[in-house]
Amino acid sequence: MAGIFVFSEDPALARQLLTPGLELKAALDQPLVALTPSRDEAQTLAGLGADRVVVLEGPGTPEALAPAVAALVAQAGVVLVGGTLRGKHLAAHVAAALNAGLTTDAKTIRAEGGRLETTRILYGGLAVCEESLALPAVATIPQRTFPPPAPTGASAPVEAAAVTADPRVEVLSTTPVAGEGVDIGAAPRLVAVGRGFGAKADLDLAVDLAGALKAELACTRGIAEDEHWLPVERYIGISGQTVKPELYVAAGLSGQVQHMVGCRESKVIVAINKDERAPIFEAADYGIVGDLYTVLPLLTAALKA
Amino acid sequence: MPNILVCYKWVLDEQDIKVRPDDLSLDASRAKGKISDFDRNAIEAASLLVEAQGGNVDALAFGTQALKLSVKDVLSRGPNRLTWIGDASAEGADAFVVANVLAAAIRKAGPYDLILCGEGSSDMFFQQTPVRLAALLGLPCVTFVQKMTWADGVLTATRKLPDCTEEVRVAGPAVVSVLGEMNKPRIPSLKQVLGAAKKPSEELPLSSLGLAPGDLEPRAVRGTPKGFLMNRRNIVYKESDAAANVAQLVASLKAEGL
Amino acid sequence: MSDDSFDVIVAGAGPAGSACAYALAREGKNVLLLERGDSAGAKNVSGGRLYTYALELLEPGMYLRAPLQRRIVREQVMLVEGRRATTLDVADPAWGEGVPQSHSVVRASLDAWFASEAEAAGAVFASGMRVDGLIEENGRIAGIRVGEDEMRADVVVAADGVNSLLAQQAGLFPDVEARAVGVGVKETIELPDSVINARFGVTGEEGVARVAIGCTEGISGGGFLYTNKGSLSLGIVFNPEQAAANGRQIQEIFQDFKEQPSIAALIDGGTSVEYGAHLVPEIGYHGIPKRLHREGMLVIGDAARFGINTGLVIRGMDLAIVSGLAAARAILQEGTPTGPAYLSQLEELALLPTMRAYAEFHGIFGISRIFREYPALANQALGFMFNVDGKVPPPMLKKLLAVVKENVTFRQLAADAWKGYRSV
Ligand SMILES: Cc1cc2nc3c(=O)[nH]c(=O)nc-3n(C[C@H](O)[C@H](O)[C@H](O)COP(=O)(O)OP(=O)(O)OC[C@H]3O[C@@H](n4cnc5c(N)ncnc54)[C@H](O)[C@@H]3O)c2cc1C
Ligand SMILES: Cc1cc2nc3c(=O)[nH]c(=O)nc-3n(C[C@H](O)[C@H](O)[C@H](O)COP(=O)(O)OP(=O)(O)OC[C@H]3O[C@@H](n4cnc5c(N)ncnc54)[C@H](O)[C@@H]3O)c2cc1C
Ligand SMILES: Nc1ncnc2c1ncn2[C@@H]1O[C@H](COP(=O)(O)O)[C@@H](O)[C@H]1O
Repeated sequence: MAGIFVFSEDPALARQLLTPGLELKAALDQPLVALTPSRDEAQTLAGLGADRVVVLEGPGTPEALAPAVAALVAQAGVVLVGGTLRGKHLAAHVAAALNAGLTTDAKTIRAEGGRLETTRILYGGLAVCEESLALPAVATIPQRTFPPPAPTGASAPVEAAAVTADPRVEVLSTTPVAGEGVDIGAAPRLVAVGRGFGAKADLDLAVDLAGALKAELACTRGIAEDEHWLPVERYIGISGQTVKPELYVAAGLSGQVQHMVGCRESKVIVAINKDERAPIFEAADYGIVGDLYTVLPLLTAALKA
Repeated sequence: MPNILVCYKWVLDEQDIKVRPDDLSLDASRAKGKISDFDRNAIEAASLLVEAQGGNVDALAFGTQALKLSVKDVLSRGPNRLTWIGDASAEGADAFVVANVLAAAIRKAGPYDLILCGEGSSDMFFQQTPVRLAALLGLPCVTFVQKMTWADGVLTATRKLPDCTEEVRVAGPAVVSVLGEMNKPRIPSLKQVLGAAKKPSEELPLSSLGLAPGDLEPRAVRGTPKGFLMNRRNIVYKESDAAANVAQLVASLKAEGL
Repeated sequence: MSDDSFDVIVAGAGPAGSACAYALAREGKNVLLLERGDSAGAKNVSGGRLYTYALELLEPGMYLRAPLQRRIVREQVMLVEGRRATTLDVADPAWGEGVPQSHSVVRASLDAWFASEAEAAGAVFASGMRVDGLIEENGRIAGIRVGEDEMRADVVVAADGVNSLLAQQAGLFPDVEARAVGVGVKETIELPDSVINARFGVTGEEGVARVAIGCTEGISGGGFLYTNKGSLSLGIVFNPEQAAANGRQIQEIFQDFKEQPSIAALIDGGTSVEYGAHLVPEIGYHGIPKRLHREGMLVIGDAARFGINTGLVIRGMDLAIVSGLAAARAILQEGTPTGPAYLSQLEELALLPTMRAYAEFHGIFGISRIFREYPALANQALGFMFNVDGKVPPPMLKKLLAVVKENVTFRQLAADAWKGYRSV
């Protein structure tokens, strides 16, 4: 049994995975292999400490990639997968093929006593727990959990492996998601909106506030996924983005744990909610109990003054 | 007309779970059970499908004996029949074990044209069970589905990927995991609740599934969860004068250097 | 039975509704018990002390199965004046023995248990079901509506609490009058049993019930505190009209009560796990509506405004249970008109006679000085007697008279005494 394998189709995440990959390589004394669907990216990964890079050539659907990766890692000790939707599907398939345990969204990861020890969250972020996995073991890792490693100056060999489509699943059409390419994670200040806003047009109140604060706009899952008022890349939480800005202003959102887990490491959290008993106030440094339709314009004006 | 199975998990409502501040242990003594959030979407999707074009929906769950409390709720949401496996070992199960148990039960109760799951369970959020289940059953799996239709034994589904959505076509049998935005789960009506009492539900003993001890041994062993404690200042301005509140907040933010 | 009809539909699974459904199902009636909350007890706020004689009436020994908290062996009356308090403590271990007795209860578990008893006896119980209206046919109530669904029954029992929508819809009585109800707020505060036992001087299963007077800033009302297992129920009940006239909010008055030093010491270190506000029928017998039935419909419990508040004793749950039993018995008497049979059961089971006995009691609350001046007087008089500062004390009688005068005039005192006498 040998090999630490890392895979992500997301270039930034693929690089980040090499950091825990290198630690596991040292701890378990096994070679580190990076798998990537991108030939361009392969060169970069080859210079970041991987011992070997394999380019997966063929369709990028989860059902095509998953068996190909499973075949390559059949002898693996540990497989680390970037925790995107595609990555989660792939990781679960690989874990099933290896009869292995799989930690979802590992926050920490280390090898000890011939096992993989990880931590992850439970109950939407209410709690953290440790998971101990026999090898072979699989883990998915969210964006920005680890920094990318520094370039080594060396370059590992790059090979290719073929991916074949799963004939059972036919792709009829592909619609790119209209993203704006904003990186919410990099914004130093955020104004987050929730279902307290009655209509899409009302988000202007938050846009104005964000303007006064030089902040980006963020939101809860419902605003992005159900209402489609804001792009998906702006929603914060367990199934969305994780952010750590210096200021997080939450307006008209209740502060359920699944949302807060994505922003609770912000330096200062401000809540505006008309319900004094909303959980957001427990999670906030400063709060105003009041109607956002009154409070936001006043706040914007006060900040501009 | 499809024969559909929905897999649902009975979970503790995380909103009722409290963190004890002294040792960060979890206090679930006041927590009520609920059908895992996205499984309600899966049940709704199955029910809407057969209400529109005929067919049958069964439900399947693996959990502790607390599952008994879910019977009325799940059957009032549409399914015609429930099979459940109640065993204390479900408490420490990982997705490997859950998938083994569900697959074994499906081999007994099936076959089904379509097996629906939620995108992830509200408590554990492993996001693994449907894919593992499909692998064990040798079926194709379409994950993170936003929209789906069924015609002549063929599923057409729109799934979400990080950078795009894809419309895919799969001939049944297949496993599907559905997203929360797929539909709005019904609130069962009185007649649906009363009707649920007349629907059959059967408890299958875990021992009857013919699983080897190794199949029931978690590959990922969970430690005791530790609650996350919010440590915030919790300064709340709640005067009736909104302008005064805003002024105080602005002063506080200035003091923070923001 | 067809699919959409029952012998009896009971709307509301509080103590009244569950008791009624239980007594009917036990006798083989086809009963549907409906509760709008996600579970029975989910929306119920009341602080809890239950007089067990009521459960005993329903079924001997039933109280032994109930999720009771602590049996009350100490009764305390606390007179509050600002930061000062004078507390009278009456202890009798015999209060906890046999029936009758009283126990603290937590409504979430009591109500859930009670509904499950009804279900086990054969009633069909459905929660998350709000009865939205009545079906009326040829002048009689023939069933209920829940959302789009209609369900028929020979008798509909309105057990939907103090703000009974159903009784209003049936035209039995008008909207709740502000005068007839008090507002109650209650908080559940968790504390380890060892701490509760030490602070209240009780052991194991024993508990304390305390009422507080003078904690409402002169507004008609009072506070209460019960010891449960692992928690305390702390609350306050008062007249919302007077509070509004004084420009005071419920939360403010309650917060001050919690910060009163003698209360603060008892709840110190506890975690608040639940908070709620609810109406309470306040004026006793005179508040009972003239008509409690129509053809095809009976009104029980708080919906019928059955409640007794003597200032020292708050009773509602026991009367709710007894009225539920009375309704069930009436329905089970085939061949007699159900309405009149219900009223005679209320007599036979001593509910109406008891309420009549306390009928004028509410008059005491007309003496506004009970809520401020008299507690102050007690604290100041006792405070003077306990005060030792090394100086020559003033003559005792003179000082005490001065204390009295500071708070009331002798005319007021005489008038209040007369009013009090007439009420009791
Ligand atoms: C497994 C799982 C994963 C999830 N993942 C995520 C996630 O990643 N991200 C996420 O955000 N959610 C997630 N959720 C959903 C989450 O549990 C909450 O339901 C969601 O965050 C609530 O969104 P909200 O605050 O916008 O809406 P609500 O909970 O409806 O809150 C609206 C708030 O606005 C207030 N309000 C209303 N009107 C006004 C007004 N005029 N002025 C001021 N305040 C007002 C209300 O008092 C209320 O508190 C997940 C749920 C599950 C089960
Ligand atoms: C703060 C406070 C303290 C109290 N302390 C005590 C005490 O110590 N001892 C005591 O004996 N009494 C006490 N009481 C009074 C006691 O709570 C009531 O008298 C008692 O609950 C009455 O029981 P009930 O079943 O008639 O009504 P409730 O307990 O009010 O139950 C009515 C039920 O009907 C449901 N419902 C309402 N409308 C509908 C509808 N349309 N469809 C379906 N369901 C519906 C409600 O959700 C509820 O569950 C107190 C009350 C308060 C507010
Ligand atoms: N114990 C279980 N019983 C039945 N279905 C389950 C169980 N656990 C998970 N599932 C299904 O698998 C989905 C994903 O769960 P998970 O992999 O735990 O995130 C859930 O939404 C359910 O549909």
